[in-house]
Amino acid sequence: MAIASARDPRASTGIGLRSEALAGYAFVAIPMVLFFVLNIGSILYALFISVFQWNIRSGAGAFIGIQNYQNVFKDPIFIRAIQNSLYYAIVWVPLTMAVGLFLAVLVNQKLRGRTFFRAAFYFPAIASSAAVTVLWIFLAAPDGLFNGIRGALGLNPIFQLLGFGPNQNWMGDSHTALNSVILLNAWTTSGTFMLFYLASLQTIPGEVYEAAAIDGAGSWQMFWKITFPLLRPGHYFVATVAVIGALQLFDQVRIGGGTTGDPANALMTVVLYLYNLAFYKFDFDRAAAVGLILFVIIFTITLIQRRLFGSAPSW
Amino acid sequence: MRRLIVLAAIVVLIAGACTSGATPSPSASTGTAPSTAASESGAAGSPSGAAFDPASISGNATLSGWQSSDAENKALQDTVTAFAAAYPNVKVDYKVITGDYPTVMATNFASKNVPDVFYVDASFGTPWADQGFLLPLDDYIAKQGFDTSTFFPGYLAPFKGTDGKTYGLPKDGNTIGMAYNTADVPTAPATLADLVTAATALKGKNGLKAPMCLNPGLDRGLAFLYAQGGSIVSADGKTNMVDTPETKAAVQWYLDLFKNGLGMTAADMGDDWCGTSLGKKHAAITFEGGWLDPAMSSTYPDVKYAWGQMPTGTSGSPVTISYTAAYAIGADSKNKDQAWVLLQYLVGKDGMTKWTSGGVALPSRSDVPTPTGKDVLVAQAQFAKPGSGFMKGYADVQKAFQDAFTKEIQDKTYSADKVIEATKAAVDAALAS
Repeated sequence: MAIASARDPRASTGIGLRSEALAGYAFVAIPMVLFFVLNIGSILYALFISVFQWNIRSGAGAFIGIQNYQNVFKDPIFIRAIQNSLYYAIVWVPLTMAVGLFLAVLVNQKLRGRTFFRAAFYFPAIASSAAVTVLWIFLAAPDGLFNGIRGALGLNPIFQLLGFGPNQNWMGDSHTALNSVILLNAWTTSGTFMLFYLASLQTIPGEVYEAAAIDGAGSWQMFWKITFPLLRPGHYFVATVAVIGALQLFDQVRIGGGTTGDPANALMTVVLYLYNLAFYKFDFDRAAAVGLILFVIIFTITLIQRRLFGSAPSW
Repeated sequence: MRRLIVLAAIVVLIAGACTSGATPSPSASTGTAPSTAASESGAAGSPSGAAFDPASISGNATLSGWQSSDAENKALQDTVTAFAAAYPNVKVDYKVITGDYPTVMATNFASKNVPDVFYVDASFGTPWADQGFLLPLDDYIAKQGFDTSTFFPGYLAPFKGTDGKTYGLPKDGNTIGMAYNTADVPTAPATLADLVTAATALKGKNGLKAPMCLNPGLDRGLAFLYAQGGSIVSADGKTNMVDTPETKAAVQWYLDLFKNGLGMTAADMGDDWCGTSLGKKHAAITFEGGWLDPAMSSTYPDVKYAWGQMPTGTSGSPVTISYTAAYAIGADSKNKDQAWVLLQYLVGKDGMTKWTSGGVALPSRSDVPTPTGKDVLVAQAQFAKPGSGFMKGYADVQKAFQDAFTKEIQDKTYSADKVIEATKAAVDAALAS
């Protein structure tokens, strides 16, 4: 650092440094103003709304303090929404990360036509989530393609043992609806995670593998001893993005289960619950409280992840 | 983190100090009365004091609503054209609201930029009135001497606010009737006992997945509760009536239809709604409203079906449920007098005759001619009770019932106890809110 400063002609004058700093602040000023107004400002405004009886036409009414927060936690549907969102995150995040990593390692090999496979695996991610969900509903319907194929392949006895009849309504049955959405989103999002992992894989130097090969390591050992640990920044990034996305699950359950999280609250998530409160019950103050509770949950989980995965990623 | 908490506390305290007492409470800021409205709009023919003559009003009015089909759009455009001929001094600008209607309207209410006249679904009637989004129409009704007695009472009820004022007038309506495939069911069952007999005879026949397509919720089930003397709340809307022997027996009867294979949900038949199940001949009988007809004629024109009155149950009296939507005026409408002129035409005899002749809606007034083929559904309006909007928080009650009912079907336990328990708790919560 000392050598670099000595070589820097601007270091001889404090004015040069100050003007450079000012220029830097000027560049970040616009995005920071937007960040403070649109992000921090929105959070503080939501906090403000949540402690009043709020009418969207006439604004704030009586100050009610933390009453909205207390009432929300007394609502069994909100508790169910929290449970569903957490279950979704716990199952979907590792599943999709594993599939994404598998695909990334696969298309990172020197295979013929790997560009095609990369595009093919990523393709569901660029399709509209609404369109894909509608398609999925048809596929998972009682007389849909999935039930038809398993019947044709003679797999029905296996499904029968698991308690699923030949005309199982995968999205319409409260026992299977959320798992159907998990599978749907694992399919559509694993391509994106593959892309993240692929970028992370490029940062691992080839020499490490060469050295391991000289030491006689097999491909399985190389994966677990080299690739997986060195992907740590990638894991951190993907896991954080995935958990935040998982806890904000909305469009697929809105399309699959309507605004009421049908069947029987199986598809009720925290964001759908919030949406219902705001736009169907016009209970904006309680909806703001739910939004802040979700913010606290996501913020806490992200902090825990940061602790678990160590310091900030290198990219 | 501690600094964050302190910052949040400061914001809350400042906010509380700034607004407590300074801002009127939502309940205090309901819609402006017509007399004030007229002075704001500056239009001629103000209703304040004198009688209101719609023909003397001039100006502009915007009209908005959702749109279900091109046929609906054409019928409304034709009605607006007829209005222009009847009231040439009021120009109407009709704009369809696309997307999720309540969400779009929420942004309109928040920005105080509402259409002058707009659709209000019955389920939103009381909540929107209570939140102060709608203008009470009582002064206009009184000063013009507008006759509301010709509206079927079940259609008028959902648009009363909790203050007893009228916030909307029903633009049309629909009752739930029994649609049956005439190839499978030669004559309409008149009683619930006849219905069960007819369904039992059809079980496993003619390639049917089930004799009846049934919705697992109060959106149809309420008609069967009423038919057997059950109810959700008392007539005054104040007492929980879910935990009565009649309601419980009716819920159990409805569950038994599923248990005995006489009924299935559309979803379990692989269909999006019961109209599809009837059209695809997955079921022979279903319970729907007039919206079934355009769907059947456009998609399943070869399926012959007929309408029958809802079968009577142990209560002995004919009963069904009805659905409706109203025209209302926004509390923040800038052209309230012009809006009323348009509204009173649209829900009046001439306007509604024009509108319902378009074939997409049934009249909510008894003095409007019945459209061809809709005799049963219109006649039922005489005794139909509102299917929504008859109590505060009914959406939560419906949800509690449907969630518990669906669970009983999917768990194959078919017991009314938990459905009653969940619904009773939801009604208690709704009544206490």
